[in-house]
Amino acid sequence: MIYPRIITIIAYRDLQRFWKYKWWLAGLVAMNLADLFIFALIFRGIVRRDIVPDYFYFLAPGIASISAFAAAFTIGREVMMELRRAFHHYLLSLPFSRLELVAGRVVSGIVRGFIYQIPFIILLIVIAKTPSFLDLLIVVSTTIMVTASMSSLSIAISTLVKSLEFQATIRSLVYFIIFFMSNVFYPESIVRLRFPEIIYIMVVNNPISIATTIYRDIFTPHVIHETYSIEVLIAKLAIWTAILVATGSILYMRNLQR
Amino acid sequence: MSNVAVKIINLVKKFGNVTAVNNLNLDIYEGEIFGLLGPNGSGKTTTLLIITTVYKPTSGDVEIYGYSVTRHGDIVRRLVGIAFQEPKALWVDNPYELLLWHAMVVGYSVIGARRVIRDIMEELDLWEHRGKFISELSGGTRKKVEIAKLFIQKPKIAIFDEPTAQLDVTTKHRVWDKIKALRDEGSTIIVATNDMLEAERLADRIAIIHKGTLKALGTPSELKDRIPGGDIIELRVDNRIPDGIVKSLIEAIEARKLDYSDGVIRAYVNRGEEKIAIAIDILSRNNIKVRSVSLKEPTLDDVFFYFTGARLEEGRIQ
Ligand SMILES: Nc1ncnc2c1ncn2[C@@H]1O[C@H](COP(=O)(O)OP(=O)(O)OP(=O)(O)O)[C@@H](O)[C@H]1O
Ligand SMILES: [Mg+2]
Repeated sequence: MIYPRIITIIAYRDLQRFWKYKWWLAGLVAMNLADLFIFALIFRGIVRRDIVPDYFYFLAPGIASISAFAAAFTIGREVMMELRRAFHHYLLSLPFSRLELVAGRVVSGIVRGFIYQIPFIILLIVIAKTPSFLDLLIVVSTTIMVTASMSSLSIAISTLVKSLEFQATIRSLVYFIIFFMSNVFYPESIVRLRFPEIIYIMVVNNPISIATTIYRDIFTPHVIHETYSIEVLIAKLAIWTAILVATGSILYMRNLQR
Repeated sequence: MSNVAVKIINLVKKFGNVTAVNNLNLDIYEGEIFGLLGPNGSGKTTTLLIITTVYKPTSGDVEIYGYSVTRHGDIVRRLVGIAFQEPKALWVDNPYELLLWHAMVVGYSVIGARRVIRDIMEELDLWEHRGKFISELSGGTRKKVEIAKLFIQKPKIAIFDEPTAQLDVTTKHRVWDKIKALRDEGSTIIVATNDMLEAERLADRIAIIHKGTLKALGTPSELKDRIPGGDIIELRVDNRIPDGIVKSLIEAIEARKLDYSDGVIRAYVNRGEEKIAIAIDILSRNNIKVRSVSLKEPTLDDVFFYFTGARLEEGRIQ
């Protein structure tokens, strides 16, 4: 049995804790924005126009997906802190099911992602275009899928890796792989040209790349050179989400109780 | 006999090669305050964490009103609540938020939660600390926040793991009164403790566990009666006593049990007042100087010592 009320309460706690870091978050958002403006505006003049017509418009949707990813990924750190202080004992003793507990965590990951991403979506609307209702729906579903899958991935890491020190390392490693092995900073066609095929396959199938292409398709379609099908991308992202949410949930439920 | 609320059946819990709980069997009845007594590392907390579905048993089971902790966890968690030995809070939490969230989880509406929290925080002198970071609170205050959770929740089975270990005397008494009141409102209470006074004040029945096994079970007075030779003679002596003299002492005073260590003889006898004279006579005839003598009725501490061979205080220091 799953009760939405209890999931909301569990997610509420996570968000309350997230909110305690609001100035830190504001700092991060500001830093990302600075990245976007400084980086993108400089590179705009350097990058060859036939590869990326406008680097600023190329990077902006990427930053939007990175921001959702980064915020959702913080849930794993939270889970690790709880394990370190045996706070999870308390969570495990409370009157809700393990499924509700994990659902609450994932929901809070989704909301964290949205909170962080909203400034960047607004920016996209301001600098690029106002999406249609259907497009907005696609943006929202994409964000839900990215944040659900990435919060589940970070939860999975936190419950799978026994040593807490090692856990922080693995989490950073996974974070950077996802971050840099994506199409956020460079077009897929360049990756294919310069790197082995396997890297290219990883880049195009990275959930962050998929989400970025979807955001680009909606806000800045003129920056994409590669051919793609939006339906296939959404389907791929949905598969990723299903796999990662299932894995993260199962690991969380199995591994917390010793 | 009244209803069994908690039934612990052949319970075993191992952590690697450490056996924390070793084939424990216990019935805890509805409406009683049950004391779980044992020195450090005897498996009290581990047992309680299994009852609350935090740990899985290695083998055996616990049933809460017939619901198994391994098979019906979701139901069990709705019946059982625990105030942990180590207060559960992260440093950026504050007591008010922590308790508000707890109240909502256990079913209060926001408004109902605010009301009950204020009442209980005021009763436990926590109200003034409500907005502080947990990291700023004293150990005792943190512990009170932890205990407050159960007074808010009023679960069917309320488990307190060493509730007053860090509290001052006045607060201790207030918490004991509140625990009794909680029982009177219909909760069954389990209190783990290594504080004899707490066990004696609170518990209707007591289980003494040592190294994960049950050593004795009964009401405090039943347990005291079980010590053979109701009286205890305690003698402090200066010199070391040779084994031969110890042996003749045991025979002379008809001691059921005699412990001798660190210059203290503790003999369990009947008609203690007569035996004191005999004991002193034997010792002085052998040139052993007796520095002090006392005769006492057994306390729970003695009961504990009798059943486990360990002093609770010693356990606490280790
Ligand atoms: N999570 C754990 N991992 C490994 N060993 C553990 C764990 N929890 C408890 N133990 C071991 O199990 C044994 C019983 O510990 P437990 O905490 O149940 O004792 P206790 O009776 O509550 O003691 P105390 O009076 O100190 O609270 C100890 O030897 C302890 O080291
Ligand atoms: Mg303990």
